[in-house]
Amino acid sequence: MAESSEGEEEGKLVGGNQQLVVDDDLCEMAKKAAWSVSSCKPGNGVLSLRDDNLDTYWQSDGAQPHLVNIQFQKKVKLQLVVLYVDFKLDESYTPSKISIRAGDGFHNLKEIKAIELVKPAGWVYISLSGNDPRETFVNTFMLQIAILSNHLNGRDTHVRQIKVYGPRPNPIPHQAFQFTSREFITYSTVR
Amino acid sequence: MEAILTECVQNSLRHFMYRNAIFMCERLCAEFPSETNSQLLAVCYLQNNQAYSAYHILKGNHMAHSRYLFAQSCFKMDLLNEAEAALCPPNESSAEIPNGAAGHYLLGLIYRCTDRRKSAIYHFNQALSLDPLLWAAYEELCILGAAEEAATVFGDAASLCIQKQHLPHGLGSKSMQASAEDQGLISSRNVGAEDLSPRHLKNIHGNSQRDAAGNYHSAPQPGGTGSQPLNGGPTTLSFYSTPSPMAAASQLSGVAPPPICRNMQINGPNSCATGADSSPRSTVNSTIQAPRRKFVDEGKLRKVSGRLFADSAPRRSIRLATGDSVANTNSNVSTVSGNGTNHSSKYLGGSKIATGSVRPVTGRKGQSWSNENFDEGIKHDGYDDSRNSSTTCSSPSSESRSLDQEGPTSAAGVCLSGSRVAVGASDLLALLRILGEGYRLSCGYRCQDALDVYVKLPQKQYNTGWVLSQVGKAYFEMVDYVEADHAFNLARLASPYSLEGMDVYSTVLYHLKEDMKLSYLAQELISTDRLAPQSWCAMGNCYSLQKDHETALKNFQRAVQLDSRFAYAHTLCGHEYVALEDFENGIKSYQSALRVDTRHYNAWYGLGMVYLRQEKFEFSEHHFRMAFQINPRSSVIMSYLGTALHALKRNKEALEIMEKAIMADKKNPLPLYQKANILVTMENFDGALEVLEELKEYAPRESSVYALMGRIYKRRDMYDKAMLHFGLALDMKPSATDVATIKAAIEKLHVPDEIEDNL
Repeated sequence: MAESSEGEEEGKLVGGNQQLVVDDDLCEMAKKAAWSVSSCKPGNGVLSLRDDNLDTYWQSDGAQPHLVNIQFQKKVKLQLVVLYVDFKLDESYTPSKISIRAGDGFHNLKEIKAIELVKPAGWVYISLSGNDPRETFVNTFMLQIAILSNHLNGRDTHVRQIKVYGPRPNPIPHQAFQFTSREFITYSTVR
Repeated sequence: MEAILTECVQNSLRHFMYRNAIFMCERLCAEFPSETNSQLLAVCYLQNNQAYSAYHILKGNHMAHSRYLFAQSCFKMDLLNEAEAALCPPNESSAEIPNGAAGHYLLGLIYRCTDRRKSAIYHFNQALSLDPLLWAAYEELCILGAAEEAATVFGDAASLCIQKQHLPHGLGSKSMQASAEDQGLISSRNVGAEDLSPRHLKNIHGNSQRDAAGNYHSAPQPGGTGSQPLNGGPTTLSFYSTPSPMAAASQLSGVAPPPICRNMQINGPNSCATGADSSPRSTVNSTIQAPRRKFVDEGKLRKVSGRLFADSAPRRSIRLATGDSVANTNSNVSTVSGNGTNHSSKYLGGSKIATGSVRPVTGRKGQSWSNENFDEGIKHDGYDDSRNSSTTCSSPSSESRSLDQEGPTSAAGVCLSGSRVAVGASDLLALLRILGEGYRLSCGYRCQDALDVYVKLPQKQYNTGWVLSQVGKAYFEMVDYVEADHAFNLARLASPYSLEGMDVYSTVLYHLKEDMKLSYLAQELISTDRLAPQSWCAMGNCYSLQKDHETALKNFQRAVQLDSRFAYAHTLCGHEYVALEDFENGIKSYQSALRVDTRHYNAWYGLGMVYLRQEKFEFSEHHFRMAFQINPRSSVIMSYLGTALHALKRNKEALEIMEKAIMADKKNPLPLYQKANILVTMENFDGALEVLEELKEYAPRESSVYALMGRIYKRRDMYDKAMLHFGLALDMKPSATDVATIKAAIEKLHVPDEIEDNL
């Protein structure tokens, strides 16, 4: 059930998808970004978040909130964050309240999305778009995913995988708009 | 015993029984160690694709032919330095290059692979002058961008040369005149045959090359007996390469038939030993003598159009060429045409002159041919048996590599009707001229001219795989993908097993977004030959079309592994890396492509695009300009060059180039669009709108046109029109980013772009 309330947009997400299905016009943006975490248990570090392996997970090891920081080399447009978490496997380590913040750096992060997960099992899609068509994307240097609390009041958290998506860049560089018609596309590249 | 063993080995080689050949040859070498025998052993190994063995056997040998074989093995093993040293020993700078034209050709290849363009050009030219039918050398020259007009190369001098080669020594002047052409033809044929080998080799991306070369060399070897003097001079006429009838199984050393069997060696192994006997050799010799005498006698009767050619046909036996592969039957194999008729020469000694047998060679030019033929090995029957000295080289129609010479290799009596030779030579040269000119033009990207030239070919030549693929390539370069598809389709029908040019076909299908056809093509190619880079390129294109760039990249990398000298595979890898946003590797791949072939303009273009994306506009402009210099007719390159100039704020130059691009290809809408962009930057809104109106007519469903118009109207404060056009742009279903941008623009319609207040 998703509910919205006043003030900040708060939604509850239940369940999760087993498959990771993303639109064609999105592509993963964080391959070249710098990932860091606020704390981790040895052997379950930040690499497990990006290794495409759902068996390995990141385990935090400190006080809440637990933070995952993603810093990009330049401002990027982001649209979607996808996490893989599993209540059945992780129980009290499963994140519950998550806040997503964006900004230029650690000094000016601002929350853009807050979400509460209820017994998630699988891929959880968190869209960063606002209601306004102008706010489809978040244009930012840095993204921070903060895990504010866990299920069953657990202290530390497990997250198995995180992916961040944004729009595919224009295949033709230095163009304001992308081409749609066949005539244009045929002549637009040399292969 | 030596003779028997030698004959046995050559017989085995001719029949592709390599294990037998190797075993027997080893016995031969053990029993009668001599350099010739070890050459023969090397040939066996080369035929069997074991270049490394040949390498070890021949290391240190100094006979000319050994050096050539050694160089071939080195080339095959990628030891270019040693290959070069073998052919051109550093301390004896005046040594003759072994094997004449073939040696020059191989040396040229080595220089080309090691980036010494001038030397490569020099050697290819030498090869061509020694053997005008060495199409491969001409092809290389075209690729290097340094070829002369086909008319000069395949002109009168060539024809004289051919005739010289086809006439026995004694004939000398007489033949010259009379059958100048024939001769030339013949000799060129012969040469061709030889050349073909190397060429062939080359074509096959080096694999078969060696074999061919090997074969070719071995041919002379046959007989083991003292190899013939491989003088560098290609003009030893002894060989007439006439297509040897497949049937004639001359036992000339089998020399595994690399597809191009060339019987004749350029060196004029006169004695091409037919068979491993010394006896054939003597026969040959005597035959040679005989014809000469005869010729001399008939000299007076001869006319200018001697049929030397015909006579030479019989000689084929001696040739190394691999057997008579009847490859001719394959469509791919193209045999030299035209000479067929000439072969009825009466040989002096020779009885069987296979006259009729000469099959017209269907020229298949082409690389694909070589690939295919490779397997078939065109065997020349060349060894028409020892009888004739004339080696009929299966004259490789120059165009087609396939040397099928089927002509009966009848022992050629050297009877040459000088006129026949002349006529044959002239026919062949005429054909070569057209093909050469066409190829040269298409390498220079003058595609329309190339197409016009190819159209002049006779129907049967035109409908061969090589020519049709070239036509397809020409259309591809002109961005006329529909016609290219059509041409390539015909090429596939004409020679379904040819791989040459199929990588370009796969790109054509990629552009046309025909995923079904493309995947079908890829599957077929893979099942035809899993080890050819073209098949993997096609497969990669298939995945790339479905946007699975990682798999596409893997496929292209496989293609690179299979043949690192295949420039296009590197370029495609580069494209995939860029699609995956891995610019560093992309740049590396493009640079590898350029290392292989500096004139590969796609790689220059790729680099320009990468830099454009990374906003390094100076670099980008430089690379686009290089691409433009290589292919000055491509409107796409011109429009990108203009874009780069625009980014560098050199708007005037940008506009000039755009105009050129618009003129170059009326069907290309991009330069117009870019022109509008530039005009907007220069604040010439009316001009821009005019251009865009024109574009609207041409591509009415292009969202970016409307979006740009909307923007311009907004700048001009014509809000209604702006609104209208933004709305239209949205209707055309642009991408998500653009939807966002356009909607944002609509929201902010009444807010000026730069400043809040207009005052």
